[in-house]
Amino acid sequence: MARLARNALLGKYVFSLDHKIIGLQYALTSLFFLLIGLMLAGLFRWQLAYPGQPVPLVGAWFGDANAPGGVMLPEFYNQLVAMHGTIMVFLAVVPLSVGAFGNYLIPLQIGAPDMAFPRLNMASYWTYLAAGLTMLASFFVPHGAPNSGWTSYPPLADFATMGQTMWLVGMLLLIVSALFGSVNTITTIVQLRAPGLTWFRLPFFIWAQLVTAFLLLLAFPPLQGAAILQLADRVLGTSFFLPSGLFVSGVPVQRAGGGNPLLWQHLFWFLAHPEVYVLILPAMGIVSEIIANNTRKPLWGYRVMVYAVIFLGFMSFIVWAHHMFLTGMGTVISAFFQTTTMIISVPSVIVLTALLLSLYGGSIRFNTPMLFALAFLPMFGIGGLSGLPLGLASSDIPLHDTLYVVGHFHYVVAPGTIFALFAGIYYWYPKITGRMMNETLGWIHFIGSFICMQGVFFPMLILGLGGVNRRLYDGGMQYAHAQPLHGLQVGMSYAAWALALVQLPFIWNVFASVKLGRVADANPWQATTLEWTAAPTPPMAHGNFETLPSVYRPAYEYSVPGAVDDYLPQNRAGA
Amino acid sequence: MEIPYTATVRPDTGVTNQKLGLWLFLASEVMLFGSLFSAYALLRSGALSWPDQSSIVNVRLASINTVVLITSSVVILRAAASMRAGSVAAFRKLMLTAALLGSVFLAIKSIEYRGELVEGLRPSTSNFLGLYFVMTFLHALHVGGGVLVALFLCGPGVAMARTNPPRFTGRVEAAALYWNFIDIIWILMFVVLYLL
Repeated sequence: MARLARNALLGKYVFSLDHKIIGLQYALTSLFFLLIGLMLAGLFRWQLAYPGQPVPLVGAWFGDANAPGGVMLPEFYNQLVAMHGTIMVFLAVVPLSVGAFGNYLIPLQIGAPDMAFPRLNMASYWTYLAAGLTMLASFFVPHGAPNSGWTSYPPLADFATMGQTMWLVGMLLLIVSALFGSVNTITTIVQLRAPGLTWFRLPFFIWAQLVTAFLLLLAFPPLQGAAILQLADRVLGTSFFLPSGLFVSGVPVQRAGGGNPLLWQHLFWFLAHPEVYVLILPAMGIVSEIIANNTRKPLWGYRVMVYAVIFLGFMSFIVWAHHMFLTGMGTVISAFFQTTTMIISVPSVIVLTALLLSLYGGSIRFNTPMLFALAFLPMFGIGGLSGLPLGLASSDIPLHDTLYVVGHFHYVVAPGTIFALFAGIYYWYPKITGRMMNETLGWIHFIGSFICMQGVFFPMLILGLGGVNRRLYDGGMQYAHAQPLHGLQVGMSYAAWALALVQLPFIWNVFASVKLGRVADANPWQATTLEWTAAPTPPMAHGNFETLPSVYRPAYEYSVPGAVDDYLPQNRAGA
Repeated sequence: MEIPYTATVRPDTGVTNQKLGLWLFLASEVMLFGSLFSAYALLRSGALSWPDQSSIVNVRLASINTVVLITSSVVILRAAASMRAGSVAAFRKLMLTAALLGSVFLAIKSIEYRGELVEGLRPSTSNFLGLYFVMTFLHALHVGGGVLVALFLCGPGVAMARTNPPRFTGRVEAAALYWNFIDIIWILMFVVLYLL
């Protein structure tokens, strides 16, 4: 590897040890997965809107095993849904918010030359890529991709087709990658802060990344343990998740038995609930940076926000079983988890309220990053509030496994987190490339995405309240109560396809602005944090700053009375 | 530009990068093994019947292995101490001894596995045997990783003992810390999977 690193091009852009290159590798790979995930959704939305009709244009590509005559088989539909969820959560949104934004920005924002362990950083990216390729390759094995949903519940997942084994191997690789990344992130933030950059002078983005890294570090390993056990069930014939006397498709299962399928659910949700905060915290961090910058005000209640995310990080480890109210675990345990779930909503509300109050009295600049950041607030608000009835055991009973749940978490992640990630891309693009992205295309992208997102996800809440279950192959057409609501499914599908179309100006904008964009100086947004004091585009090698900066003030010194400019960079000495 | 605090301690945090990184890694490992121990607790407490563990697995070989591993922990701590004292020759001997003891552990473990397989005991036989094989094999993989690191540190990696002694000492201490952690995990497994 050392010899390869000396080879100029390969060393610089492929086997790079520099956090900025690795960040961009993460960014491009995860954006690619984001696109794949969107296209999978576009495909199965056809089946939900027009069940039993041949998929137009591309239907013939999938072969008779998946879609004879272009009509999607239930097994193929399950593959698409399972892979949409897996790809979006594990391979697109988390790597983009942690791997890409974290890697690129953490060393720059804390005034460090690089991450603490550059080799580990490279290993983290390559393990992630291997995990992603393993997952994608599962489409091409006999019987296709995993079809047990992104949650892979046994006992069915124990007997699913070969794709499920690929899923487990992919997860094991991905968790190793997350371990490398989170060790690196925490060590970097603790050890490599510039002189004077005390804990309460850290930008809020850094705090969000720090808490996220702890969640990844401590919550992912139990899923690794669970994945090892499920792999043993599938490959070695153990029965960790298989109870005695189990029948599958009317045939008794020839295994020792004595296992417990709920064991998987506990281990899975022990990861997957903190994972929700892994999805949302970096987004909150990005939005905070952009709101402070574009209101030209310090964040309202910075310290409270910091305490809130730390508390949120702790609490996220003791709420997991609110995903399991219907497993019969008993009212005492349900009461405990519904209480912790109500408590954990408090810090989220604190952060959201602080951001909302930060807007008050500001002279807001409405540029593209700010539009996405502003839209994040109500979207995350809808996502969070629609979650409350799900966190209460009694109201969860009718809503459980309906499209209401799907609408709830999509509001958190799609117009919530993904909007924040778009905001971050528009905001830090000039730092990465030295050029601005096009504002007009940005507005088109924003307005189009905003409208289409509501069109896709709001009807889910209505359908769910109408009692329509999730994961139904025909969109619920077999059920009398779902038929009158079927028009919504058609509308949602058109909104989803339109959503895919309005990403085209964004994709064009990202690639074309490298050459066509207006040239930006080192600090085009007149921001205070340290990354903007580095060169316009930091050199693509170790060493982000000519000399390591010192820090003299808090992160958001905007509109300080008596100051000449309306912003005071963190590294400016004096009053 | 060099990355700060790879060899020296950062004054306000009191650790080097590698020491903090290793502790974080161990925290993650606690969660990994912890999840398997919890799986054991949940499956055993929910089982209608559970086999008499010590009559199935080979307690005698495992006891010998426990002694071997504890000895190796002492040896690797002695190795780290001699590196701190600046005696590279003594360090290399002790580190090699630790690696050998680790290999002895793995050899005895494979004799144990062979005995069980010859008797027709498989991971699929019962949930106890499944957990026994999965957990001890995962632990053995960790011992194997430790042996490789120990061999690297007393073999090709020892060059750094001359070029950058403080950083190398940090590496040795990290390896010793990891080794002792894996030792503790074994003692827990010995109690839970063999004796309980």
